[in-house]
Amino acid sequence: MMEKGYVMREGENGFERAVSILEMVYKFPDRISDEDVDGAANFVFPELENTVLGLLELEANRGLEVFFFRKVLDIFKEAMRAQAEGKKLIFIPFTFPPEIFWAFDNIFPLCTEIVSGAIVNICAGQGERFWDYAMGLGLPDSLCSGNTIGIMSLLMGPGLKPDAIVYNTPGSCNPNAKIHAFAADYLGIPQFIMEKPVDESARGRELNFQYLKKLVKDLEEWSGAELKEERLREVMERSYRAVELYNEFWELKKARPCPVPNIFSMTLLVLRSQLWGREEAIEVLQRMVDISKERLRKGEYAAPEELARVYISYIYWLFDFYGYFTWMEKKGITILGDILAIHYFPPMDFSSKESMLRGYAEIAFDYPMTRQMGASSISLRWLEDISYAAKDLGADACIFGGVHACKHTLGTVAFVRREMMKRLGMPTLILTGDVFDKRHLPMGMLQEEVEIFVDNVISKRKASSRKKKVGAVEGGE
Amino acid sequence: METASILEREKELYNDYVRKWKDEGGRVLGYACLATPVELIEAAGLLPYRIKALGHSETELADGEMSLFNCSFCRACLQLGLDGTYDFLDGLVEANGCDHLRAMFENWQHVNKLDFFHYLKVPHFFRDDSLAYFEGELALLKEHIETQFSTEATDQSLEDAMRGWGEVRERWRELSSLRELEEPLVSGSEAVALEVRGSSMRSEDFARMLSRFIEERKNTRGTKPAARLLLCGPATDEVEWFEEIERLGGMIVADTLCFGSRAFCPAPVGGGEPLHRLAEGYLSNLFCPRMYMEYARRKEFITQTAQRARVDGAIYIYNKFCDLHGVDSVLVRRDLEEMGIPVLVMEKEYSAGADIGRVKTRVQAFMERIGGGA
Repeated sequence: MMEKGYVMREGENGFERAVSILEMVYKFPDRISDEDVDGAANFVFPELENTVLGLLELEANRGLEVFFFRKVLDIFKEAMRAQAEGKKLIFIPFTFPPEIFWAFDNIFPLCTEIVSGAIVNICAGQGERFWDYAMGLGLPDSLCSGNTIGIMSLLMGPGLKPDAIVYNTPGSCNPNAKIHAFAADYLGIPQFIMEKPVDESARGRELNFQYLKKLVKDLEEWSGAELKEERLREVMERSYRAVELYNEFWELKKARPCPVPNIFSMTLLVLRSQLWGREEAIEVLQRMVDISKERLRKGEYAAPEELARVYISYIYWLFDFYGYFTWMEKKGITILGDILAIHYFPPMDFSSKESMLRGYAEIAFDYPMTRQMGASSISLRWLEDISYAAKDLGADACIFGGVHACKHTLGTVAFVRREMMKRLGMPTLILTGDVFDKRHLPMGMLQEEVEIFVDNVISKRKASSRKKKVGAVEGGE
Repeated sequence: METASILEREKELYNDYVRKWKDEGGRVLGYACLATPVELIEAAGLLPYRIKALGHSETELADGEMSLFNCSFCRACLQLGLDGTYDFLDGLVEANGCDHLRAMFENWQHVNKLDFFHYLKVPHFFRDDSLAYFEGELALLKEHIETQFSTEATDQSLEDAMRGWGEVRERWRELSSLRELEEPLVSGSEAVALEVRGSSMRSEDFARMLSRFIEERKNTRGTKPAARLLLCGPATDEVEWFEEIERLGGMIVADTLCFGSRAFCPAPVGGGEPLHRLAEGYLSNLFCPRMYMEYARRKEFITQTAQRARVDGAIYIYNKFCDLHGVDSVLVRRDLEEMGIPVLVMEKEYSAGADIGRVKTRVQAFMERIGGGA
């Protein structure tokens, strides 16, 4: 029996601890009852109860999330095994599409932010000790917990270490780029860079392609193996099979009430950041689409009424799945997506290695966050993309869950909020907290603010709009 | 005294020098990042003006656009852009120095649009491919300036401007050697005051001002400071803040500040076309934490500066929320302390008068640690 308060085991780092605990997903039966969910919620550390409930309380997403987390666990274990067998383990940020790394025979990518997320949502203490370790080193508290927690878990103590680090955020996100560069300097391991030019012209896009080719060459030299055309084609073809499902998934979100469970937003984010280009991403996404279609057919929704459809104009907060996704869903608040859910996939020419690399370079250029925060105008590109998504999916309002590390968005959100109101008549609730560290703004405060916003802004606007419509009809009669 | 009069004048952003330039029909182009080649602006017949805040700490208007999680120096500069203080500028050149700076420029343009606005896109590492792109960027900037201001930056005027700024850098080196003497003839706060003043001058006037100052100081006698300090950090023009540190008995005998010695590192190098020399000289010599894959070079620059000036200790300052310097400060502290140079890292707010007591206490304690306590 596990002793309460037990945080780490001898010889394990945060990532490995998360893997050990995650083994419990294989203990769930195929059909999970409410009792099973209660049992699991009571078994884990108190602060992780909401991870279990967020994933499993609503029956609609229960089976999918267990299936998905089994895939995540398998990938994590495969990473550890791969390194033990001589493959190079490389850390990549969530701002970079993972496909290219899967196409290398002897490189295994792990997404830094997914490692952080696993630690925060699976380990006791929610990764706070790793954040505190960073502060102990003298690093500034304005860094991003999204990557700092994962990176510090590797720097601190024993266990698995990456063989190299890749990042693409110089110029689009200082905290992300700096902490990845810092980790490489600190561990004395190679670092590879692919800057996204802040230039949407043909010249900028061409430079981006040249940077990618240089990155591939550097990785080939470092890993000692060539990027093979056939392997790249396999990965890119899988990537585009997932794209078809992603497009279907997007369309499903337009229905009212929305048949897509809120928690699937988190699932999609992990799939895209870590598993895209592998069969597992297709398998999970296919199930997500099937479940959503079935719910649409049955008209299922978690609350008696869909009170509000919100677009998260920046990123989700991910330290409390239940408090964020499930709580909103049960209140009748649908989360339609966030900035990380907006993907641009250009038509792909699979005919040659060069053509696929060119296509991949375009995906990387327009990858979420990289596209907006690495634009020649952060505010205008961000506004354009959020306006499109919010309008296309029929959002009533936006919620900006600001992250204290993200100076680019915090520095431009006032403009974006004003313009969203001016152009689309869409209000935005601005909150500032953190993606993985609850100490910045506890979930209870977010819930209170969201509830007030929905009651006083969204519901009243909808009621007033209904009144006007009725008045117009009556006046017409 | 020359320095005193410079500081007196520099309380105004639209100072006598710039006023005179404007009165005579000159145009002024604002820029903020050291990656912007001033030679190019000067060669086009314009006055390059480095955006600064001169200790103005009000940020009411800027806070309506940027957040309190953004750098207070950038917010202070934005405030001056929004309240009309910077209306004397004829245009702005943005560079992607950092996240805060980009937000500052964007908001400035959204709220108080200037007729000329150019985004100079500066790569974050130095390589053949990034250099070729940057050279192209300089060509675009040149073309835009020429079109907007109906002027021409000829090869000859570029050569002249490069020579002029080369003279400024030469004078700065001379000034730095006076700071590094056993009994320094120039203080750190005076040096920064000179750079703050000179960053809104044309090269020939800046070089002349430095020459006069150096000549004046060569005829004086210095005093041995209680402690010799190296000051590292970002863009800050808070001369009074440096004076406060020096009043405690230590002297800033060297610095690697953006409004200090680091401003004189980018310089045209090699042969070939003027734009190529500018591109290479600037992109390869920024020594700013915004540059990646280059920590080893930054470390060399800082450690060599420390050794040359024979410092007893180093102070690394940066404004709250500056991740670039915040992260680099950890590595710099580690590397200087390995060399036996104690380091004090201080996070602060720009021009926060209320904070000065805390700062003084920490500096005093540090001076005691390095044996320079009063």
